[in-house]
Amino acid sequence: MGAIIWTTTAVSVAQDRGDIFPFPVTTFQLENGLQVVGVEYDSPGVVAFYTVVRAGSRNEVEPGFSGYAHFFEHMMFRGTERYPTDAYNAVIKRIGADSNAFTTNDWTAYYIVASSDELETIVDLESDRFKNLRYSEEAFRTEAGAILGEYNLNFSNPVALLQETLNDLAYDAHPYKHTTIGLLDDVQDMPNNYDYSVQFYDRYYRPENSIVVVVGDFDQSALERFAEQYYADWERGDFVPQIPQEPTQTEERTTTINWSNPTLPFLMIGYHVPAFSDDAIDMPALDVFSQLLFSETSPLFRQLYLEEQLVDVIQGGALDSRDAPLFSIIARITDTARIHDVRDAIYEEIERLKTEPVDTAILDSTKSHMRYGFSMGLNSPGQIARTLSHYLQLTEDPQTVNRVYDLYESVSPEDIMMVANTYFSDSNRTVVILTAEEGQ
Amino acid sequence: MTFRCVLLGLCAVVASSLGCNTGPDLDEATPIIALPMPNSPLVTIRVGFRVGSVHDPESQKGLNAVTALMMGRGGSTTLSYEELTETLYPWSASLSAQFDKEMTVLIGEVHRDHLEPFIDILSDLIVTPGFDEADFSRNRDFLTNSVVSTLRGSDDEELGKETLNTLLYNGHPYGAPVNGTEEGLASIALDDVRAFHASHYTKANVIVGIAGGYPDDFGERVQREIVAQLPDGGSTATILPAVSSLDGREVLIVDKEAIATAISIGFPMNVTRADDDFYALMVANSYFGEHRTFNGLLMNKMRGQRGLNYGDYSYIENFIQDGGSRLPVSNIPRREQLFSIWIRPVPHHNAHFALRQAIRELEVLVTEGLTETEFEASREFLLNYSKLYVQTTSRRLGYHMDSSVYGTEYFIDEIQRRLPALTVTEVNEAIRRHLQFNDLAIAVVTSEAEVFRDRLVANEPSPPTYNAEVTSEIEAEDLLITSYDLAINPERVQVVPVGQMFRR
Repeated sequence: MGAIIWTTTAVSVAQDRGDIFPFPVTTFQLENGLQVVGVEYDSPGVVAFYTVVRAGSRNEVEPGFSGYAHFFEHMMFRGTERYPTDAYNAVIKRIGADSNAFTTNDWTAYYIVASSDELETIVDLESDRFKNLRYSEEAFRTEAGAILGEYNLNFSNPVALLQETLNDLAYDAHPYKHTTIGLLDDVQDMPNNYDYSVQFYDRYYRPENSIVVVVGDFDQSALERFAEQYYADWERGDFVPQIPQEPTQTEERTTTINWSNPTLPFLMIGYHVPAFSDDAIDMPALDVFSQLLFSETSPLFRQLYLEEQLVDVIQGGALDSRDAPLFSIIARITDTARIHDVRDAIYEEIERLKTEPVDTAILDSTKSHMRYGFSMGLNSPGQIARTLSHYLQLTEDPQTVNRVYDLYESVSPEDIMMVANTYFSDSNRTVVILTAEEGQ
Repeated sequence: MTFRCVLLGLCAVVASSLGCNTGPDLDEATPIIALPMPNSPLVTIRVGFRVGSVHDPESQKGLNAVTALMMGRGGSTTLSYEELTETLYPWSASLSAQFDKEMTVLIGEVHRDHLEPFIDILSDLIVTPGFDEADFSRNRDFLTNSVVSTLRGSDDEELGKETLNTLLYNGHPYGAPVNGTEEGLASIALDDVRAFHASHYTKANVIVGIAGGYPDDFGERVQREIVAQLPDGGSTATILPAVSSLDGREVLIVDKEAIATAISIGFPMNVTRADDDFYALMVANSYFGEHRTFNGLLMNKMRGQRGLNYGDYSYIENFIQDGGSRLPVSNIPRREQLFSIWIRPVPHHNAHFALRQAIRELEVLVTEGLTETEFEASREFLLNYSKLYVQTTSRRLGYHMDSSVYGTEYFIDEIQRRLPALTVTEVNEAIRRHLQFNDLAIAVVTSEAEVFRDRLVANEPSPPTYNAEVTSEIEAEDLLITSYDLAINPERVQVVPVGQMFRR
């Protein structure tokens, strides 16, 4: 049976250093490797409970099985012996919980926001399905219909097709080649792959690959007691995924696709950039770079959106990712004849940022924007838990968020030029243009 | 942290026992709904107006939306839009316009470090918008694109809901999208926007809320610098005409290339949060179709048991999901409400079956009602879940303002007060008084629309196709659903190419 093997509380440290994350964080780990992170926050009577699984579509390494991290997220609501689906739902209903889950490239999260009085009930429910999930092949095949339904609703939007096309074209080997929902052929074949889903659970839904995050009005000692009581017998796993390495892109890739309904044209551009790190300057510099390119105060935004009104949407950036993501740029263009003008204006601005050091006042304004934006977003237990979970899934270290924001503060004009020159070359670029079919 | 709810105003204001409820039409000064939270670093201000798309002239659908965007995404007489974004950017302050049929609200959120200059900017934007020609052109084009490109070509679910609105409110001020119509937007000139702002964004129509860590005199300042500066003008409250009755089950099918079939169903229902029966219907609806949860019968039977699609829900009032949450957005009050069912896209081959199942389930709800057990479970859920509606300051403030508009106590308190007193009999009586299944508006977005129409009108059987074997109970029920008489009124079935939707 697992006792807590270590506990750490970053309270006075955080406050003394003026860290960006303003709340005390207490972390402990069970012998089976499960890390539990608690943040006591002034939200009378409300607690947010997140379970982070460090597996997403990145882990879908076998051909023909894209979309299984997301599919598995659905299956986690299909019950256990103690709490079959109806019983699980009845408890969620009784406690009036806001309960759901989501899947990304790198992680899957399950959350419950509910009354603090129900903390033990929540720990009991959640630990049970992570340890003892049981579902029939019929239930699996039925749920595949809901997945297809989700695919269908996503793909009535051209941006889903754009994203799928860009990823497929930009990547050769890495699972980021497909999006989280999966490829249509794989989604349609899901009903036939029950065994693979069981294997996915067995590989990744393990304590050493998961983190529990609790935020709100709760008692830390009670959380520790519940965690030991309910999670200690969760059996540790040993699977280590072999994620294929993406070879370096050596020449520009481009394609044009059609949309069979009315739409303004879209332009999407991707550049390969480095994975998340809380000690290298590249990723923070790229985040600042994206603000300099696309924020409402940027010269490019003003030119294309305000003055020439050639776009009604333009944005870009890279997700914090465990492996090298794309820095993606998307623009919706108001005049089909001007697609290349918009593309060229983006290229020109990138070239300018390679050689002209950014004004320090603009850089300071950008850093201020990012800092205040982060702080203002920490306005509910759910938001705080989600934010902290995001950083924990990347490094498993609750101090990462503070280290990253320290790095943002240190980004210099030279860093901006460095990342612009290093990553924004023609040969590292993939371009997709989407237009409406003729007659639409 | 404790929350205190007070009213600020230059006149004497009588607060209710909860201290937070007043109508928006006091004549000497507009009361400000205030939720001070001294420990919070954030301040939220919502300046709402009882103005919406119902005020759009018949030939200028979208006029209110353009006007709202001139404040929410435009400059003032003091700052151009470019200067404004430059100022707000380092603060990461947000300023947005939310507009609906009967209410428009300017929402500002700022760290208290920057409250002082922020309120000057907000005041200028609302009282003296810049009405810059480039801002106007950009905002009008944005709205036009949202209709002709996004709605028609990029979001079948929203298209289905807006199509339902078109069918339900044909000839009624609610009938056009709040963003406007293609021709309506094209006919709007900048002078029209100026005149609309002067006549509608007035003292008589305003309702203001503030919340967060603001200084003690902030309410007076808002009163002095925003409310008192608005044009006098009278209330522009309109008398809403009656909504035309539905003639049986009417269908509007939008014909477009679609990967799956989107369906929305509804009928007008004249019950709002101000009515006793609303709370009984809230319980009934939670049982039948609570938004994006497995508490709802529709969700369990259509998605959970059959895997027909991603989700199936129902609503007893206009519902817009608040961002990524599953909770309803505030500040979209309406005097006329509707009951609706949202069936998320279903593969074409099962669409006819899904439509049948949803309507048949509605019939069962109306004829059989809830059991005591179902009633108790749904009521308990709502009593707990409704407390989560207001996790953030901004949402809490929005709900207080809505309660003021409806003339009720604070909505969450109303739920906590009324639900424990309800009985299953009262819920089932409310269902029979307000819900029905014979006169329905049915909106469908699909490919091969004419084929679908013919199958509906002919009342052809619609056996479903599943990925998995289902239980004998489900099989037996499916036989009933497959042959359920949809009884579509053949005189009231239209097929409209998507390019013709929302033109005028």
